[in-house]
Amino acid sequence: MTTAAAPGNDGSGSLAWARRRDSLARFWRAYRTHRAGLYGLAGLAVIALIALTAPLTVGGNIQSVTSAPGSALESPSGQFPLGTDQFGRSLLGLLIWGARISLAVGLLAAALSVAIGTLVGILAGHYGGWLATALMRITDWFLVMPTLVLAIVLATVMSHSVWTVILAIGVTSWPTTARLVRAQTIAVESRPYIERARALGGGHRHIMSRHVLPNVMPLVLAQTTLGISNAILTEATLAFLGLGDPTVVSWGGMLQDAREAGAVSSGHWWYLAPPGIAIALVALSFTLCGRAVEAVLNPKLGVR
Amino acid sequence: MARTVPSRNALRPPRPGRRVAIGAAAVALLATAVLPVRGAVADDSKGGEKVLTVAVSQSVDSLSPFLAQRVISTSVHRLMYEYLTDYDAGDGHAVPGLATAWNTSPDKLTWTYTIRRDAKWSDGRQVTADDAAWTFNKTMTDKGAATANGSFVANFKKVTAPGPTTLVVELKRPQATMTALDVPIVPRHVWEKVGDFTRFNNDRRFPVVGDGPFVLTDYKVDQYIKLRPNKTFWRGAPQFDELVFKYYKDNDAAVAALRKGEVSFVSNLTPAQASSLKSASHIKVNDAPGRRFFALAANPGAQSKDGTRFGDGNPALLDPRVRRALFASVDRTMLVDKVFQGHAVEGEGYIPPRFADYFWKPAAEQRIAYDPVEAAALLDAAGYRTGADGRRTGKDGRPLGLRLLCHAIDPNDKAVSKYLQEWWAKLGIGLTVDCVDNVTDPWMSGEYDLALDGYSVSPDPDYVLSIHTCAARPATPRATGQTDDFVCDRPFDELYAKQLAEYDTAKRADLVKRMESRLYDTGYINVMAYPNAVEAYRTDQIESITTMPEAAGNIYGQDGYWSWWSAVPASGSAAKPGGGPSAGVVLGIVAGAIVLAGAASFVVLRRRVDADDRE
Repeated sequence: MTTAAAPGNDGSGSLAWARRRDSLARFWRAYRTHRAGLYGLAGLAVIALIALTAPLTVGGNIQSVTSAPGSALESPSGQFPLGTDQFGRSLLGLLIWGARISLAVGLLAAALSVAIGTLVGILAGHYGGWLATALMRITDWFLVMPTLVLAIVLATVMSHSVWTVILAIGVTSWPTTARLVRAQTIAVESRPYIERARALGGGHRHIMSRHVLPNVMPLVLAQTTLGISNAILTEATLAFLGLGDPTVVSWGGMLQDAREAGAVSSGHWWYLAPPGIAIALVALSFTLCGRAVEAVLNPKLGVR
Repeated sequence: MARTVPSRNALRPPRPGRRVAIGAAAVALLATAVLPVRGAVADDSKGGEKVLTVAVSQSVDSLSPFLAQRVISTSVHRLMYEYLTDYDAGDGHAVPGLATAWNTSPDKLTWTYTIRRDAKWSDGRQVTADDAAWTFNKTMTDKGAATANGSFVANFKKVTAPGPTTLVVELKRPQATMTALDVPIVPRHVWEKVGDFTRFNNDRRFPVVGDGPFVLTDYKVDQYIKLRPNKTFWRGAPQFDELVFKYYKDNDAAVAALRKGEVSFVSNLTPAQASSLKSASHIKVNDAPGRRFFALAANPGAQSKDGTRFGDGNPALLDPRVRRALFASVDRTMLVDKVFQGHAVEGEGYIPPRFADYFWKPAAEQRIAYDPVEAAALLDAAGYRTGADGRRTGKDGRPLGLRLLCHAIDPNDKAVSKYLQEWWAKLGIGLTVDCVDNVTDPWMSGEYDLALDGYSVSPDPDYVLSIHTCAARPATPRATGQTDDFVCDRPFDELYAKQLAEYDTAKRADLVKRMESRLYDTGYINVMAYPNAVEAYRTDQIESITTMPEAAGNIYGQDGYWSWWSAVPASGSAAKPGGGPSAGVVLGIVAGAIVLAGAASFVVLRRRVDADDRE
């Protein structure tokens, strides 16, 4: 990040890199001690691999209804290990393909939510005064509003698309991050080196981006990891409630399709269980990782 | 069904509040799947009373017969109030209702009805011709009272009651639908006191005075509608002691309730539900030809009666070759096989084959068969050529892209739109699917290219034909009209006027068929299928029930009160449904176990964090 890496300044540049490598290695060593975190990471790696290789393993044609290979709602067989949906498409293929949307929406929505939260938190923590009061009252308002209800309202009034869902989750789940980041910002800004920076002529922008942001990053990172599992669950909930994009396959959408086909009352458990279990596993993996990261990075939780 | 404007709401039962309810329903579902359910067949609770419980999902718009337009409300009105004439349960011809006989003057303009003497209001007063005259006059003179039934009296000049058993209606022009007036006759002595008809919903004071087979005794919004039999009903009292329409916003929950015996009847089943219920004991599945059509409507360039164009329909659809190409690439057989899984009949003419008198199908040379090759040729001829990217572009260089308006809450709509998207993509046409909860607003303002459309058809086809006449269009772009798709076609209108004035049934049927042929050729309303009515009821609660038509017909949403009026309680209707744990129970247990496992792991994690906290 040091843009002042002028020629001849190589030494300090490589020093910074070495320091970063060093801290990363330290982070990894600390992370390794959390067994649950390792399980979570392994789970994520497997799921990410499945999602990324989906175009090779199942192909985008799996979504096609006109060229569906099976008949409606077949039970599991050799050809269709998880059976078929009401269009005759392979549920295993859809499950693999759906991982892409569910993960993408989860990641983007969590990123959006954390970005908003960080911005609001740093601004409120740094400037204080009436701006902080105003921002924090808005945060409070969002905090007391039930997230799901707000997201449902947003998703209902906007058109049914993936971006709507991302936006709906993103703009409703940021208040916790904002509160955390604000507290951390205030803590960081009370340190002497901020005063030094200010004395040397550092402006608001410089202090916020060069000193506060790097120091709240660990918190933000942990918050993102935890937020993803929430975002994936919310995405699945919204899709299950029929508020997702009906033309793309996602896990929540599969549950909604199953419900609409009457799979619950007609006992087609193989249609309902796999997407549900997949959602639970991904959310669990992210939570495990997030907890481990939090434990490593947040000094208040102590070093094991 | 005549009074189902706007039918896009009425016929695909809207489920307001369903979104929010589903979450709760899903939770409740797990709960109901695991918990034992208290027997709902009333024997235990009400000392031997036989209760017929019907699961419904559509919300009531109003219980005032002057305002109600949805299927649920008009069905209840059929039970509460007698009409001048009823449709025969067998073949739908007009049979005596309140009127025992009717005749028309030689000039076809004066109709005289004889009102029966043996009909009484539930408060003991005699039903007279004066009640009927008052009902019609109110609808004619008070704009607020014309919301639901205004179209039936638009052609009336004068309605009088010279005696207690004689009703005389004078017409402006001949009208063939005088024995198919779907207007509930209300008691004058009760309704005279109503001030503002637009705001009176008839749901405050119970029981509601009526003269139908049932009397409305209680109603709670989206919870239940309760009716008691009218013991003095002239056709004979119904046999059940109570009729309850109970709300289940989630159809799967309703099916679970049917399996448990909590409800006696469920309609609107999915193919999967129907096939699993077929093997259930004490349950009969009724899979009958439906009275609905399911069509693809193309926006003909919305226009109001004053000539103002509005909306944003794609001008490409004004080219008949484009409309033909679009429909020629729709494989109707596949839709019936895959989406409806056989619970539908492939679409032909406008009126479903169930109404044999008026059913028309195109001859081989007129028929737009499934033929993607011809569709591509038609588009080429219309000037939409395929570009390098596989998409068709018009002469103006813009790619041909269309929008499809569909109902977000209708699984069939969503399924069909997936197929359309793929078929048209192969042709090089892009399709944006707009599945929304409220289709009425974009529809009424003409803001759509294509839309998935459906109406229920009454034994008398006048109404479903009238919605495609020029006169049905809104007066101004902001007004609401009866129109379905803004179709305005002179030859169609001329035929419509002729059939309305034709009192000879055979000649009228012939005119109706010519209208269907004309509508088919315009290509604005393309019927893809006639979905079946798929319903199920418990045979240990209902011994027998009349379908309409009797041979193979539906039970819910009939053009009459036949089903619920005729329902015979099963002798052992107290019998508890038996059976071991259903799939739902197993599922509930599995889900519960997963939730518990998840919760446990979180608690463990929490503990660990706490331990970290303690340092």
